[in-house]
Amino acid sequence: MTIFPENISTYGQEIDRLFYTISALVAVAFVISLFVLLYPLFNNSAKRVKKATYFTGAKRKHFRWITFALVALALSDFYFLYAEHGAWVTIEQTQVKPDFHVSITGRQWNWAFTYPGLDGKLYTPDDIVINEMNSELHVPINKNIVVDLWAKDVLHSFFVPNIRLKQDCVPGRMIQRWFKLTKTGTYDIACAELCGLLHGKMRNFLVVESQEKFNGYIDSLYKKNAPALTMTNPSN
Amino acid sequence: METPHSTTHAPQGFWTKYLFSTDHKTIGIQYMITGLFMAAVGGFLAYVFRYNLAFPGESIPLFGQLDAMHYNAFVTNHGMIMVLFVGMPFLVSGLGNLLIPLMIGTDDMAFPTLNMMSFWIFLVSCLVMVAAFFVPGGAFGGGWTLYPPLSASGYVNRNPAFWSTFFSATPMFILGVALEFVSMLMGGINFLVTTINKRAEGMTPFKIPLIVWFLNIATLDFMVSVGPLVAGAVMLLLDNVVGTGFYDPARGGDPVLFQHLFWFFGHPEVYVLLLPALGVMGEIIPVFSRKPLFAYRTIIYLSLIAAVLSVVVWAHHQFIAGIDPRMATFFSIGTIIISIPFAGVFLSFMATLWGGSIRFTMPMIWALGFIGLFLIGGLTGLYLGSSTFDIYAHDTYFVVAHFHYTMFPVVFFGFFSAVYFWFPKFTGKHLNHTLGMIHFWLTFIPFNVTFFVLFFNGLAGQHRRVNEYSSFSNIMKEPYITFEKISTIGAIVLMVSQFIFLYNLFISLRKGRKAEKNPWDSNTLEWQADSPPVHGNFNPYPVVYHGPYEYSHPSSEQDFVPQDNPIVLKTN
Repeated sequence: MTIFPENISTYGQEIDRLFYTISALVAVAFVISLFVLLYPLFNNSAKRVKKATYFTGAKRKHFRWITFALVALALSDFYFLYAEHGAWVTIEQTQVKPDFHVSITGRQWNWAFTYPGLDGKLYTPDDIVINEMNSELHVPINKNIVVDLWAKDVLHSFFVPNIRLKQDCVPGRMIQRWFKLTKTGTYDIACAELCGLLHGKMRNFLVVESQEKFNGYIDSLYKKNAPALTMTNPSN
Repeated sequence: METPHSTTHAPQGFWTKYLFSTDHKTIGIQYMITGLFMAAVGGFLAYVFRYNLAFPGESIPLFGQLDAMHYNAFVTNHGMIMVLFVGMPFLVSGLGNLLIPLMIGTDDMAFPTLNMMSFWIFLVSCLVMVAAFFVPGGAFGGGWTLYPPLSASGYVNRNPAFWSTFFSATPMFILGVALEFVSMLMGGINFLVTTINKRAEGMTPFKIPLIVWFLNIATLDFMVSVGPLVAGAVMLLLDNVVGTGFYDPARGGDPVLFQHLFWFFGHPEVYVLLLPALGVMGEIIPVFSRKPLFAYRTIIYLSLIAAVLSVVVWAHHQFIAGIDPRMATFFSIGTIIISIPFAGVFLSFMATLWGGSIRFTMPMIWALGFIGLFLIGGLTGLYLGSSTFDIYAHDTYFVVAHFHYTMFPVVFFGFFSAVYFWFPKFTGKHLNHTLGMIHFWLTFIPFNVTFFVLFFNGLAGQHRRVNEYSSFSNIMKEPYITFEKISTIGAIVLMVSQFIFLYNLFISLRKGRKAEKNPWDSNTLEWQADSPPVHGNFNPYPVVYHGPYEYSHPSSEQDFVPQDNPIVLKTN
């Protein structure tokens, strides 16, 4: 059994690695704390020790053990804050040059996908909208995908476990995130923020495929949707 | 100090003595009984939706089918009830009322009538919460965090008429919580005024028992943080019943505003519950280690630091909620730093054990269980304090497991420790030790069974608040399906075993061994009063000479020195 679902994004590994880093620190802290807790329970039971030793811990000499522990904790805290910061910047604060730009709108209760039309630009009248339950979002492999996340009615949260990406979608604002995927296949897109009655049924699919297949898919979309191109800024 | 009063003014009629009483002890017990009742409600809700998670689609014994709408309502109400209607009455109002006047050596709260009113408003708030299940459309189901726009848009049961909207799910939920806040503020002002003004002669600030300090810090924390949420809740209520647009972006509002207001209260609220529970440990551990509480003053300073920090870390609940990513760094650092004072407090408790002469009594075992469990809860908090890992873990079962590992020990282990410790004082009877042991192990083990597996479900990507996971066959596969079942079985055993506790209370009240004044050889003032204390508590008022934790002092014959014992302790 693996702990995480399979990782398919370029930055997912950093989150997994962060988990193991924190786990190592936590494991050390846990073992030490457990020892500190359990040792006196075995060693100092009333049966073994009739009279307790009087010390209040007010003296610095006594408190220094706790000071050491707190300094060690502070150092490991800052170590992992440092360790995590790079991945945070990569995922949340990086603007990549988009190879493919797609708009995703959370609505009760599915994700709607808007692809740019023939002009290659989003939010123009020839955009193509896929708006149905269980529909697929197709993206090319090994490309920088930039997603504009919108919400139509209530809060939603765009969550693809395999990418390690989750981002709330808030009505009234557009939030941009990016990913680059390294493996073809079909993966779940869930909604991780309670959004009403069918929150649990809000599931779409992410299809990662080669550039050729992806181009073919987009072409078929153009053919199917050509007559009914409309203005589709999803926030309206 | 004023002259000792006569205890003959105690109200004698049944109604004034047991029901409409202004006596802090009766009010404290009323709070706890109401809390127990609400815990039964919250527990039953948890049983129903946990059963549904493990065996989706099956008919649930004692309930029947659970649909998505009721699932959402149950999860929502379970959360709110357990935090505000169980945790608060157990740990803050209950313990505060029972203990503060006794531990500082006075007859009652500063404002006894206000105190009584606080309880009755609390009772009404509980009734409103329960009644909300029976209004048309059922109870509120938008998550206990009440995030708009879902909670602001009337959700499922919108009715255009004002009054029928007003008496529908969302406004009733807000109303119940608001009444609870009113009650807590009334109780809280009592705690502060009583502690500041009514202490016994000689009870200087650093002779006040830790739990009284912590109850007051918790109260202050609550009072400082609750204002913004009240403002936020009023706006939400107006959005619901009047049709304003505070949280409606189409009309210039902003949904994220509410999240800030909510968590500005929501995070300190965790410490409002944690601090009294830590206070309980701070009383129990020295008594049964026969040793002074390690670094008593430092613990107080550390918790003051933590209380201040607690109001500047709230946005760690919102790392991925659409706030500016650059803000996350600040809140991540704050969250991680807050681990340091609390680690100091916990290590001081553990250091108290070192060199002690430890007696494994019922309250001590619960206290040690609390520390062990909270250790896991606190350490898993480090994962979530990391904003980067939170991108993945947010709103998954990892979070669920984490906060149950903090909140369950705090609310229930804190409560049980307190009950096993102070039961002899307030009833004059001892609880049954064997039943207590069975109760402990049948709580400790099933609790771990219930929640430990959920960490793995969370890491596998299972997200929260989904009534039926069958849609996500890629995530919900073996062994996670089995884990869900294990968790549910654990939860059921956990709930059933609480009947042992109720039985123990019942049987011990009737046939329990009689308790003397000071059965645990404890120092603090409540143990110097009668068991149970009479109306007015002390006659005459005690005078305090020592700090609360002078155990095994080398210059004393006995291994304990009650705070009001006038002997002189030589310090070397």
